[in-house]
Amino acid sequence: MATDLRISNISKIYPGCIANDNVSLQFKSGKIYALLGENGAGKSTLVKILSGVISPDNGEVYLNEKNLKLSSPLDAKKNKIGMVFQHFNLFETLSVFENLSIDATEDNKSLRVKINEILKKYNFSIDLDVPVLNLSAGQKQKVEIIRCLLRSPKVLIMDEPTSVLTEQETEELFISLKKFCDEGILIIYITHKLKEVLSLCDEVAVMRKGKVVSVSQTQNERVETLANKMVGQKLAKIKKKINISTNKDEIFKVKHLNFYSDDPFETNLVNLNFSVKKGECLGIAGISGNGQNELFQILSGEIITPDTSIIFRNKEIAKLNPKQRREYLMAFSPEDRISQAAVPELKIYENVALNNFKSSNFFEKGLVNEKKIKEHSKKILSDFSVNTDNVELKSQFLSGGNLQKLILGRELITAPELLICYNPTWGLDVGAINYIHETLIKINDQEKSTILISTDTEELLKLSDRIAVIYKGKLSKIMPSEEVTPEKLGVLMGGGSID
Amino acid sequence: MSLDISFIGILIGSIMASSVPLILAASGELITERSGVLNLGVEGMMIIGAISGFALMVITDNLLIAIVGSMLSGVIISLIFGFLTQSLLTNHVATGLALTIFGIGLSAMLGKNFVGIPGKEFPILFSSLRESIPFFGPILFGHSIVLYFAFALPFLTNYFLKKTKLGLVVRAVGDSPVSASNQGINVILVRYCCILYGGAMCGLAGAYLSLIYTPQWIENMTAGRGWIALALVVFATWSPIKVLIGALIFGGITILQLHMQAIGFRIPVQFLSALPYLMTIIVLVVISRDSRKIKLNTPTSLGRIFYKEK
Repeated sequence: MATDLRISNISKIYPGCIANDNVSLQFKSGKIYALLGENGAGKSTLVKILSGVISPDNGEVYLNEKNLKLSSPLDAKKNKIGMVFQHFNLFETLSVFENLSIDATEDNKSLRVKINEILKKYNFSIDLDVPVLNLSAGQKQKVEIIRCLLRSPKVLIMDEPTSVLTEQETEELFISLKKFCDEGILIIYITHKLKEVLSLCDEVAVMRKGKVVSVSQTQNERVETLANKMVGQKLAKIKKKINISTNKDEIFKVKHLNFYSDDPFETNLVNLNFSVKKGECLGIAGISGNGQNELFQILSGEIITPDTSIIFRNKEIAKLNPKQRREYLMAFSPEDRISQAAVPELKIYENVALNNFKSSNFFEKGLVNEKKIKEHSKKILSDFSVNTDNVELKSQFLSGGNLQKLILGRELITAPELLICYNPTWGLDVGAINYIHETLIKINDQEKSTILISTDTEELLKLSDRIAVIYKGKLSKIMPSEEVTPEKLGVLMGGGSID
Repeated sequence: MSLDISFIGILIGSIMASSVPLILAASGELITERSGVLNLGVEGMMIIGAISGFALMVITDNLLIAIVGSMLSGVIISLIFGFLTQSLLTNHVATGLALTIFGIGLSAMLGKNFVGIPGKEFPILFSSLRESIPFFGPILFGHSIVLYFAFALPFLTNYFLKKTKLGLVVRAVGDSPVSASNQGINVILVRYCCILYGGAMCGLAGAYLSLIYTPQWIENMTAGRGWIALALVVFATWSPIKVLIGALIFGGITILQLHMQAIGFRIPVQFLSALPYLMTIIVLVVISRDSRKIKLNTPTSLGRIFYKEK
């Protein structure tokens, strides 16, 4: 039976923010719908309303012309609306089966049969009796999907499902979603990734500041048109001038970088050698989990490896810790903004103070010089156009993009000679990505160097002067980026070889 | 002192009796903590249970009313904690500490007129078998019904948590209240129930002290057992069976060191008195050193305030 879901005049107002402003949309089964928007555009609020987690101040939801009362998640379940949240709603310490059985109506035996049927049908392979915390992100998501499928849903809502997935897991997910769609499940796909919208979805609704600004067929759209709708203004095209001058000084040189670990979750690094010139961006591509984490930690000094030589500005720094390396004018921007780069519970200015230098005078005789830190923080906020001027704000209330700007600002305001960043635009929306890319290019223009470790090939091709690929802890040869194509990178990232 | 076999039997029996309040209170607290609530008011709830049990016994002269009443008083006082932490979202630690201080003070006030009144003999089961079977008699028979219940409780708790749907819900709530709420589980209700159950068990543990173990009312008679019970839950890594083992070790060494003091061992008394605490912690840490299992048993959301999105 065909499903028809209609949202009519939904509004939800939080103090100081209109999350949803008179949103009306219509969905029909047999199609995959995209709900596109920047972080904070109101997508998540809307799907939380659809799944009964929060209730709207105004407006109605109709499923097959029946007015739904969605005052709790149970109501959504009863009405066959399934939801896969961006932050998984799983119980980490319980086994997969326990997770699935918690809201099941049938007894354990028949439930197990039912789950196994689903596993077989969609070609999922998951051990039902291991605790969820042992699963990869992709597997966890499958558990969430199975939980929805068990209730034979009419509507399946996916909230930014690919933000934690590898490229291969993303492909698998898309195949499954298309299958579900063919079986008559109405799919609403929430994202801020434009390419995914074009490759997966049939229709796209764009949200901005709580309002629906456009509904269209994806076949009539291109990445640029969608981006402009999403941001609400024309995005400047970023193009980098490739640094051709080959006879510049090498500022940073790594020799014999080896790393061995007994931990099965860590990747061994095998004899990495590379160097970075002044004003150059060296890109390191690769699918996540091929040693990037370990490489970043070694370059930043979190892990000290024996027999490795790291020369920075003609000094051996391989044995120095991150703080000492910073004193030598290196700067770091780790992948995990919340837990590695910043402390979410601390205020903005306190986070700024964490990156303290002898020269910065943040502390005098063991006391905190709050005034100085706050002035410094204000400068960062304005210089790097962070969307607030309140340095007392707790960092956890900043959106991902603003937090990344703050972190980059904190690192860059000391004018480092080398910035090492790992997935700097991970999970950000186009506007913020653009800004970060511009910033990174500006660094190179000022004759400072960058190492960009990233899983985003497009970003690498856009920003790097030379690119290498890391695969299973080994580094490919380093290529000038004008010789590199996305296809070549893809082959190398998958472990193939090119000549 | 003769170390004959019947003496050892009697010794083991007395060790079991001394560990009952710990087992009861710790098993109750374990359920509370498994749902993600850290109630540091165990000592306070126990002492309230002790005085209300004893007072009801004196007033009504009915032991059943006294036992049930002590559990109810535990429920009522834990309801205060539940209301504050779950409905008014106060901090678990501060509220629990306040509850203990409140309980000790209130019990002293209520108990003023009951000091010095002799208790009533509590019926024991199978007393004839206790005398007739050497060694095993004093271990297995001649105890109050509360003791048998206490020794069954860890196994029942284990079964409840691992095998029943409700137990699964309790664990899920303790793991991630947000996920549970999004799955349509009424987190606040589940937590209230677990808090009240914990209160009932602490009340019973207190009543065991004032009605059965040392049948009289003495001010502050729980003497820190509530805190031991709390520590047991943590060091037993939230496993009911390990709580039982820990309680027995603690009771055992307490009794043994008393005997050693009586015999006059040349070891400082202070060290002997500290021995039960030390040994219990060491043994529990050793038997639960599997970090993976600890992670799976630990209620992730323990002590964190949960509020529902609106």
